[in-house]
Amino acid sequence: MIKQKIWASVRVRHALGSAALLAVLGSGSTVYAQTTYNIAGIADFTGPFADVMKDITGCRRGVLDWWNEEVGKSLGVTLKVKEHDARYDVAQVASLWPGIKAELNPIAVWGLGGPDSNALQQRLPNDKVPLLLGTAGYGFAWKDGSWVFNARATYPHEAAGFYAWYQKKMGGGPLKVGVISSEVSPAYVDIHKGVERFAKDNPQILEVVETIYTEAQPTDLTQQVHRLLRKGATVIQVFNNTASVVATRRALQSLGKGNLPIVVSAHNGLLSSGKALGDLNRMEGSYEVYGMAIPTDDPTAARAFFEKLRTQYKTQANFTSPCMMGLATSLLTVRAVEQVVKIKGPAGVTGADVRTALQTNAFPSELTFGVLPNIKFSNDAPFPTSGLAVNIGTIEKGMYKLVEQSAPVPNVNKW
Amino acid sequence: MDPAGIFATSYRQDQSLIRTRNQAFALLIFVVALFALPMVAEVRSVAVMTSMLITAVVVLGLQINTGLAGQVNIGQAAFMGVGAYSTAVLASKLHLPFWLALPAGGVFAALFGLIFGLAAVRIKGFYLALTTIAAQILFHFFVLNLPQKWLGGSNGITLEPAELFGFRFETDISMYYLCLVVAMIMIAGGYGIARSRHGRIFAAVRDDDVASGMMGIDVVRTKALAFLVGAFYAGIGGGLWAYYIRFVAIDQFTLIHSIWFIAMIIVGGMGSITGALIGVFVIRMAQESITSMGPALVERIPFLGGDLVFAAMNIFLGGIIAGFLIFEPRGLMHRWNIAKQSYRMWPYPY
Repeated sequence: MIKQKIWASVRVRHALGSAALLAVLGSGSTVYAQTTYNIAGIADFTGPFADVMKDITGCRRGVLDWWNEEVGKSLGVTLKVKEHDARYDVAQVASLWPGIKAELNPIAVWGLGGPDSNALQQRLPNDKVPLLLGTAGYGFAWKDGSWVFNARATYPHEAAGFYAWYQKKMGGGPLKVGVISSEVSPAYVDIHKGVERFAKDNPQILEVVETIYTEAQPTDLTQQVHRLLRKGATVIQVFNNTASVVATRRALQSLGKGNLPIVVSAHNGLLSSGKALGDLNRMEGSYEVYGMAIPTDDPTAARAFFEKLRTQYKTQANFTSPCMMGLATSLLTVRAVEQVVKIKGPAGVTGADVRTALQTNAFPSELTFGVLPNIKFSNDAPFPTSGLAVNIGTIEKGMYKLVEQSAPVPNVNKW
Repeated sequence: MDPAGIFATSYRQDQSLIRTRNQAFALLIFVVALFALPMVAEVRSVAVMTSMLITAVVVLGLQINTGLAGQVNIGQAAFMGVGAYSTAVLASKLHLPFWLALPAGGVFAALFGLIFGLAAVRIKGFYLALTTIAAQILFHFFVLNLPQKWLGGSNGITLEPAELFGFRFETDISMYYLCLVVAMIMIAGGYGIARSRHGRIFAAVRDDDVASGMMGIDVVRTKALAFLVGAFYAGIGGGLWAYYIRFVAIDQFTLIHSIWFIAMIIVGGMGSITGALIGVFVIRMAQESITSMGPALVERIPFLGGDLVFAAMNIFLGGIIAGFLIFEPRGLMHRWNIAKQSYRMWPYPY
């Protein structure tokens, strides 16, 4: 009797256990199968931009972690990125790319700038993978049918947006702009040529008094800056690098013109230049301009999104303009993938699909959490050419501040 | 030193590069392996080999110029750039076919190099090095400041794939074979130059140009010829590069590239054609290994961070070059020759 009772209880326990096991196994069938797609990341850990790479790659990866968890899961898609060190060198990108393509079969590639575009622009139409860059575009890449996508228009476009705003703010006649450039890179030459073209087409906004050529990392520009001041420059444009900004600021201070504003871009922004100078106050009254959110401490949507990535998804990066470039590139990509999946479903997404999505869809600013303005690509250029706007930051009383949001960019003709 | 039992019985035999049947067989196997590489290796390896072949042609020119003839040249990347731009202009604007555009690019580079060869007649050593750096700066200046219609300015020049007898070299594998064939021709030429009377004249001028002049060698002509030949090789390499990337811009041919080329002949062994090839292989393999291993190391040791891992490896790479200069300035070929001699002499010490 007791044995029968024990045996019955064992059978009951077995039955209950089996039922539990079946329930667990059955619950697994409610988990959606995820299709994984790869994105190739081109980074620079040993070249000229190694010091900012942590912020760029950290923010790129953070966006993927967020998207996979909060969007991709419901779509049945997971995106993975693998970073490759290309040293910002064309030869390295060219030799890495065939292996990257064979290994990852990526649906997009995230690049850094000119060398990636140089090395890949002729190959991508055959390889059918779009290249997305967080830097501003270049005039020499202004071609139709491109597989390269810059989240921002060209540096001359961004400069034009600043000059239109600043001339209106200052009132009076056209601005007199001195440009500090360099021939070490065709990109720098392209920038000042675009600005000169804009000045020629818009004499009521600005006049370029002179373009000064310097070496790659100048240490002293006193003589050159003095020449610009003699010609009546009221603002100096320095879009090269941080070293040029530092040399220009030191020159202005030694000439007693420390209050003359310098305008810089994202890659040599106010914070990094102030850090190089040793004191952010020394950049007082200078400006930075680009077509992305300015990474100030102001409670913007972009800042809130970054804080979410940092706290919830353990993103290892600082909130800087390089981080903005990483956010811009990755957010555009994931939003494009969403568009593809909506039409095609989670399976069979290709690089060509992502490119079509980038070209045919508008990306309002809300989709990128204010990191980018409203973006609309077309087949005419690798960057947006209409509806452009820039954000302008400054240093005011030692504080890094956003001084103008979404300043419209006037029309800039090809140069 | 020949293996035991191998004697040359004619001048031709004495001058030949392949001296035994085993050497001929080994060379044949090596060439077959090079041709079979795309069938057995992955695509990345083929791409790396292609860039090695292009670099080998350029570095070979530098070896003839600097290693054989003793003319310091820190502007080899500029000569490569002249070749690349010339080829690109001839191919894209004048629509010359590949088989014309490539050698013509070499000729233009040779003429540009000749200018500095003439400067080399009067100066040497440190001053010649400075003059060749001027080649680098002049090249950038001309490209950026001449009318954009001529050389593309800051826009660069794009070109269509190379085409030969109706076949377009559009894929990585086809470009590999093209670069392999051209490199083999140029390497054979390099060995020919080194073994010929021109090679002996170069070596004489390198060792003592005053004594060479007194012995009747035209030192002016020799120095100019060294630059001419070296720049021609660089121009051919530049033309191959232009067809490989299909876009040329000045930031692909900088002073840093010239310095890397110098490093390759130092590591390989100055004055030796084989040394130049070995130097290219070793340096490029080190670069590629670092690039490949870096991401994996960062993943395994995350607290180091990508920047520290990659920077440390860059220092290691520079350290190898400095190490060779200090401990083995005659390069890997010297070590190889010592090992070969020891093997042939074994078990005797001398």
